Amino acid sequence: MAEDIKAKLDQYRTAPFDARFPNQNQTRNCWSNYLDYHRCQKALTAKGVDITPCEWYRRVYKSLCPMSWVEKWDGQRDDGSFPGKI
Amino acid sequence: MAHQAHAMLYSVDPSPSPLTGAVAALLMTSGLAISMHFHTTTLMSLGLVLLLLTMYQSSRDIIREGTFQGHHTPPVQKGLRYGMILFITSEVFFFLGFFSAFYHSSLAPTPELGGCSPPTGITTLNPFEVPLLNTAVLLASGVTVTSAHHSIMEGQRKQAIQSLTLTILLGFYFTALQAMEYYEAPFTIADGVYGSTFFVATGFHGLHVIIGSTFFAICLLRQAQYHFTSDHHFGFEAAASYSHSCLMSYDSSFTSLFTDEAS
Repeated sequence: MAEDIKAKLDQYRTAPFDARFPNQNQTRNCWSNYLDYHRCQKALTAKGVDITPCEWYRRVYKSLCPMSWVEKWDGQRDDGSFPGKI
Repeated sequence: MAHQAHAMLYSVDPSPSPLTGAVAALLMTSGLAISMHFHTTTLMSLGLVLLLLTMYQSSRDIIREGTFQGHHTPPVQKGLRYGMILFITSEVFFFLGFFSAFYHSSLAPTPELGGCSPPTGITTLNPFEVPLLNTAVLLASGVTVTSAHHSIMEGQRKQAIQSLTLTILLGFYFTALQAMEYYEAPFTIADGVYGSTFFVATGFHGLHVIIGSTFFAICLLRQAQYHFTSDHHFGFEAAASYSHSCLMSYDSSFTSLFTDEAS
């Protein structure tokens, strides 16, 4: 399982087609992966487990999201004003 | 046949009301914009005074033409009915605009809202508390207004006056309850798109309830002064249609704006 994830991460070039977000507007794709990464990180660190599986979501959102959005959301998370559920 | 039909219609005497009404609308709208930029309500207040004067004079003229001069023959009344139906239809579309604004933002909530509806941080009102009471109050007023209508049609003067008074009191009760809800609400009009859509939609609705109550108050005064007959009481019917449509828009707000899961 861990080997599959590592293999996938080695092969990673950019975010692949995600059938959940088939259209031109990829806002939801970015948002969803940003949330999934931070939820994954929070859940796995709470269990005290290796967070490598979360790395996929991080790669995807880093590929897709505008940097200004990521900076804004990171700032909001630090403030405690981030509107998404993590 | 056309000749005969025209003999039963009438041309209204020249009146300043269209002009004063239009000027009032201009002063109120520009006055509203001015009040937001320069913190002075003079222009808007002037427009409001002119509007009230226009409303008073034009309705007095129509009552004189219809009730006292007998100009509201059946074809004329039919025209007035069409006019009221068209106006009410335009009001329905007016409210539909605010409903679409709400659904536009709530069915596909953006990341800024937290991707959820109601948005993060908004404590919604419980629809089964005051909003439900308000629905009941408006429905009750629908019953009393129907009772008043039947009393008028049956020539029962005293009962008509009682039912009409009760209708107006229910309208005031609604307004008082809604004012209290506004005061106690945990969110304001400035709280994102939820606050905006909520208060604009319910605000315009509340304004329409006040307009309906005012219209019924005029009808009450007229009923007391023997203006209405059992066959001819279009002013009352217009007020009743207007208020019924207002009630319908509250019922639809109730099911959409007030629920906890906004979609």
